[in-house]
Amino acid sequence: MTEPILEARGLTKFFPTKRGTVRAVDDIDFRMSPGDTLGLVGESGSGKTTTAQCVVGIYAPTTGDILFHGRSIGATAAKRSKELKREIRIVFQDPGSSLNPKRTIKQILATPLAVHHLASGREQLARISALLERVELPPAEYLYKHPQSIGGGEKQMVAIARALATDPSFVVLDEPTSALDVSVQAKIINLLLGLQKEMGLTYLFITHDMSLMRNAASRVAIMYLGKLSEIADTAEFFQRPLHPYTKMLLSSIPVVSDEEESLKPAKGISRGEIPSPVNVPPGCSFHSRCPSRLDVCDKIDPATVEIAPGHVVRCHLYPGPQGKAS
Amino acid sequence: MQDTTKANLLAAWRQRRRNLAHGWYKYSRNPLSVLGLVILVLVVFVAIFAPYIAPYPGHAKAYTNFRDASQAPSAQHFFGTDRIGRDIFSRTLFGYRFSLMIGAVVLGLGVAPGVVLGLIAGYRRGTWVEVVIMRVTDVFLAVPPLVLALAITAMLTPNLINQMMAIALVWWPWYSRLVFSLASSLRNEYFVKEAELTGASQRHILFREILPNCFAPIMTKMTLDMGLVILIESTLSFVGLGVQPPKPALGTMVAEGAKRLPAEWWSTIFPALAIVIVILAFNLIGDGLRDVFAVEDV
Amino acid sequence: MPNPSSLLEIRDLHVGFRIFEGHLRVLTGVALVVNEGERVGLVGETGCGKTTTVKSVLRVLPIPPAIVTRGEILYRGRDVLRMHRHALHVLRREELTAIFQDPLQSLNPVFTVGSQLRDIVRDSMRTPEGRALSRREIEARCIQALEETGMPDPERIMSNYPIQLSGGMRQRVCIAEALSTTARLLLADEPTTNLDVTIQDQILRKLDRLVDQKGSSVLMITHSMGVVRDLTQRIYIMYAGSIVETGPTRQLLASPKHPYTQGLMASVPRLTGRGVSEGIPGRIPNYLEPPPGCRFHPRCPHRMPECSVEAPPMFDVGADQRAACYLYRRSPS
Repeated sequence: MTEPILEARGLTKFFPTKRGTVRAVDDIDFRMSPGDTLGLVGESGSGKTTTAQCVVGIYAPTTGDILFHGRSIGATAAKRSKELKREIRIVFQDPGSSLNPKRTIKQILATPLAVHHLASGREQLARISALLERVELPPAEYLYKHPQSIGGGEKQMVAIARALATDPSFVVLDEPTSALDVSVQAKIINLLLGLQKEMGLTYLFITHDMSLMRNAASRVAIMYLGKLSEIADTAEFFQRPLHPYTKMLLSSIPVVSDEEESLKPAKGISRGEIPSPVNVPPGCSFHSRCPSRLDVCDKIDPATVEIAPGHVVRCHLYPGPQGKAS
Repeated sequence: MQDTTKANLLAAWRQRRRNLAHGWYKYSRNPLSVLGLVILVLVVFVAIFAPYIAPYPGHAKAYTNFRDASQAPSAQHFFGTDRIGRDIFSRTLFGYRFSLMIGAVVLGLGVAPGVVLGLIAGYRRGTWVEVVIMRVTDVFLAVPPLVLALAITAMLTPNLINQMMAIALVWWPWYSRLVFSLASSLRNEYFVKEAELTGASQRHILFREILPNCFAPIMTKMTLDMGLVILIESTLSFVGLGVQPPKPALGTMVAEGAKRLPAEWWSTIFPALAIVIVILAFNLIGDGLRDVFAVEDV
Repeated sequence: MPNPSSLLEIRDLHVGFRIFEGHLRVLTGVALVVNEGERVGLVGETGCGKTTTVKSVLRVLPIPPAIVTRGEILYRGRDVLRMHRHALHVLRREELTAIFQDPLQSLNPVFTVGSQLRDIVRDSMRTPEGRALSRREIEARCIQALEETGMPDPERIMSNYPIQLSGGMRQRVCIAEALSTTARLLLADEPTTNLDVTIQDQILRKLDRLVDQKGSSVLMITHSMGVVRDLTQRIYIMYAGSIVETGPTRQLLASPKHPYTQGLMASVPRLTGRGVSEGIPGRIPNYLEPPPGCRFHPRCPHRMPECSVEAPPMFDVGADQRAACYLYRRSPS
């Protein structure tokens, strides 16, 4: 692998609450190469959003670290350099609350430009117009509108324009299309992929939609209750899913054709509820729902094993070359 | 490039006009709100042009004419005359000047610091900044507003300036608390997080991101408060701690006339009615503003 | 003439909204049928009018600003829109039941699950002989209803409050409630949209089985093609206030005929990994000034001159499938 642009090492984030410690992210490791799109998939309580928030600086890790171009960045945004804040940007899930309803789109897009002293006055207006054009929103029409008078898809495009305003190299996409209709989603994903090629961006794509990842991600990682259960390149991942949770996820996807149906590992094998991250089951946290459970699963947490180049899994079914999980 | 700039400005102006028209539509749904606005416009008009409208403008200053004293309402004196012969109608019109001016100044003085403190405390909730600001606010709020205003005015010489400062001092904590609760919930919004992640200064976040979302409740409260300020001013004047005679403050006029109820009812009732009308107008407007700002879902 | 086996029949429904800027013409001639024992899907994207349609059936539209300008909603032959209060009340209690997207809004937060479920069971159920159920029978029936939805540990859940449960469990409670009534028609409005995909899978499978058991009819409203594929026999595709295509579910999904449906199906990301389509150009129309004729024509790759003149009626496109598009004008239905 070429020099990774982003690396998580033992990244951990716990939140102490009155009811107990929320183990949101628990000792995860992953690497991303420049130009990658890593799809981080999980259900509620998986920790995928918290991971994204740590990368972008909303939280600082409890332990472990995040490295950007080899340099440690595990801190909140307030402590990060301005340059870093320019390089790593985020697009949030809910466009309704990520755009200030009382400001015009021009003002919203002007903020990052002003904060980083990238442009002012007439040049600022020119750059904002260029940004809007890049996301296919005609400036004359949109500059002075307020977010509430435009649709969800358009709001998200403004959010994307805002993220790109500082010419970043790394963008975190936190479920950018989950709240949108499928036809609008297609437009936005297309836009994102096009911009990625054009600007040489690396994406950390958080989602729960595996069909989307099949088509938009170069690598896929699955999280469950704060831990990574499997990572692989996309094609390999969908052809050879190893972890029982991955298989359960894949079997639950609502597909629209017989062809896709035949690609699913099985049908109707999902069972059980997701435990709360405050009460993580001992051993492998998935054991309470796992159809392939072994005796050791509720006692020992499995180790991460690389089954094939780039394909990593954490499960007692795949104990690794030593023959026993260490 | 010039064309697009012009086009942009035109678009901005059009959009703003559209927003205003929409706002007026929502406001005018309720006829009472429109009535309130009409009354206020009349009151303001009357207050501004009092020297030209009042039949006896001189009566608003030192003037005595015991021959015409204590006359019932008539064609020459619409509201009658008071105990020293001054035309009550003219004095009422001038009295509106004081009331409106005091309302505007007090709110101008009191709202701004309250809002700023509330913003800072709300955004820094959970830190010592919040604790200090909000506990001071609590102290001021613990004392009933009227009592506090009375106490302050009594300590200083009773005149217009001191009266206004006293009421302003009473008023700011309410805004501090209002904005505190707004700001502390708004700071969790994603657009605020986004501004923080971008690296925006705290000033930007407080005044450009959070404050615009507080305008609606602040404006509504200010409109309703105008009525209340006028009432408090009237009360202070009533007990002799406000505007001193011969200046025609409505409260003072009510106080003087009250001594001679029910025989010379006109010297109390008319100034009192004038107070009621202007307070009513502000309340109706405040209600109307609430409708305008209410989030609608279709 | 009402179709004798139809349970629900919406005819030529036109609904508008009066707002500041003018008159929103939302629904324009919605026509749909749900027969006894049938499972029908109503699919469309945000703003297409499907929720307005459901609210019209339940008659919970806020009137004003809404206004029904034309049309009938026949439930077993009787027009819901013109029913008197009392008849409507009986209809809602005994014939219709609904599951909504957000169970926190459907469940009363200050009562336990058990208390709410018992109320429903007590009111709706009778023994075979016709007498009311005893306390023990009610309790047993409640536990059974919860079990059937796949709820773990039903006895404990009965004494929980809704906020103590997860989203999936709350929705199971709503399903238990809905299916414990005598209702013949279940209206499900995006019942699993907010749920995790593994939970959604479990709940939909259970719902499928329970509805089968009870013989209820279902009108499932959703934006997810995958969900309707597994759960319904017939679907209606809705766009900008009218039905644009209808037919047997799997057939329609495999072979969509209306350009909108085709665009929609192309936009759905596929597990086969063939890439992301470009979506459908343009935006949904402004209901204040909708485009003349077919409301989809400004975005349609196949538009023809006649499309902007008058909205097309439904044309037969083969084997019970119909599409409202002039491309298929040869054979009017």
